[in-house]
Amino acid sequence: MSWSTTTVWNSLRAKARLVACALAAVYMGPLSVAQQITVPSSVTAGTESTISTSGSGSGTFYLVGPGVARKNQINLGQTVRLSSDDLQFAGQYLAIVCAAECHSSEFIVTAGKPATLAFLVHPSRVPVGQPDSVSGVALLFDRFDNLVLDPTKIGFQVSGLKQILYSREEVTHDGEVWFRTNSGKEAGPVHLTASAGDLTAKRVVQQVASDPCNLRIRAQQTPRGIEIETEPVRDCAGNPVSDGTIVTFTGMDSAGKISIDAPIKDDVARAHMNVPAPVTISAACGVAMGNELRIGQKP
Amino acid sequence: MMRFCAQLIRLSLISVAIVIFAFLPLSSKADGPAVGVQMDISKAGPRAVENETERRILSDYRLAWTNIAQAMESNTPAPLQALFVGPAKKWLDDSVSSQQKSGLSSKYLNQNHRLQAVFYSPEGDVIELHDTAQYEMQVLDDGKVIHDDNVTHHYVVLMTPGADRWVIRQLVAVPQF
Repeated sequence: MSWSTTTVWNSLRAKARLVACALAAVYMGPLSVAQQITVPSSVTAGTESTISTSGSGSGTFYLVGPGVARKNQINLGQTVRLSSDDLQFAGQYLAIVCAAECHSSEFIVTAGKPATLAFLVHPSRVPVGQPDSVSGVALLFDRFDNLVLDPTKIGFQVSGLKQILYSREEVTHDGEVWFRTNSGKEAGPVHLTASAGDLTAKRVVQQVASDPCNLRIRAQQTPRGIEIETEPVRDCAGNPVSDGTIVTFTGMDSAGKISIDAPIKDDVARAHMNVPAPVTISAACGVAMGNELRIGQKP
Repeated sequence: MMRFCAQLIRLSLISVAIVIFAFLPLSSKADGPAVGVQMDISKAGPRAVENETERRILSDYRLAWTNIAQAMESNTPAPLQALFVGPAKKWLDDSVSSQQKSGLSSKYLNQNHRLQAVFYSPEGDVIELHDTAQYEMQVLDDGKVIHDDNVTHHYVVLMTPGADRWVIRQLVAVPQF
């Protein structure tokens, strides 16, 4: 009887393989296999959510997104809970599960319901009767300051002292909406309101008189010279022109020309011109030219 | 002999200076990785975007993404100080500190951004952009790459003018425009 050396050798090799496999299994611990991650199709910012994993054994879970880079050990096949703090910011999130190998999946977090209404209004002061001179932009944000991109109705209203100058409802597009309108006819505060549901934002624009209209002056010769003053300076809609607006008085005599700038105070600008008569006096304010006065020599 | 020694020392010093000068730019990442940015202003409104404004926004947006890449890779918020404000700065800062805590870092490589200006406010105080961004994103755990993917992400961006630059106030990834 003879032993086949090949059989003995094969038998030894098979046993060695088994032992090696057993040692490897002991060394590696329980086999961890991650098969799949199921992420939510859409999540609202600041709410809780879950991610489910398949497979068995232990693994490492990662969540990488706006404001978060989280890592923790998990049991594969179980559900991973995402807290509201993890998902505060709208944007793209990446979930990764690593065991023997890594698998990943992305999901989107969208802004919650509007909590803040930003209302940008220009200008802060505007002359009356100017076309397309008042504009406003409204943007909606949720309670975490995420831009709300879902179309939302926003009502705009512009009110003067006596009447509503503009009123319209618009729908946000890409998170914003805007309007532009003319300034009113009366000087004074104009109230602008933007509202979306319970949210309201109010702004005030000061309407001021426009350029002066029909500038008229009068003058009186005195022993000290010539006292000049305007009649109350108003714009074409009858609004008193703002205090501080400069009126330039010009006097022409045989010796030449003299100019004096005087600010309007209480609707009237006044100046004293120390020139001998005869003299011709005129006035200008902005684009308005006043009447011309000729002051003769006293007899 | 003395002159030979002096010459030798001088040569050595020059060599050291050349070596330091040659390696200095490598250690400083002031320029950061190249970021490609293109911008289309044809659909911007109601205000038209002036050429100088377009050039400035392009430059600041490119720098902003260079800074994001640097901050996320090196886990330091310093690069985020200049060009981000409000909610955008908050989430970027939070991302960096969260990465620091968990030992993660991220790389934004081979970035290409196609910007479409979709809204420019009447007074020029806010511009909204749509950015179709393509880049290779790597996530690293303790230096080991655990995720590497070439992605196309869509961002809605709100920028506002600062004293001498345009800053990013909102930077939100959306599924599509």
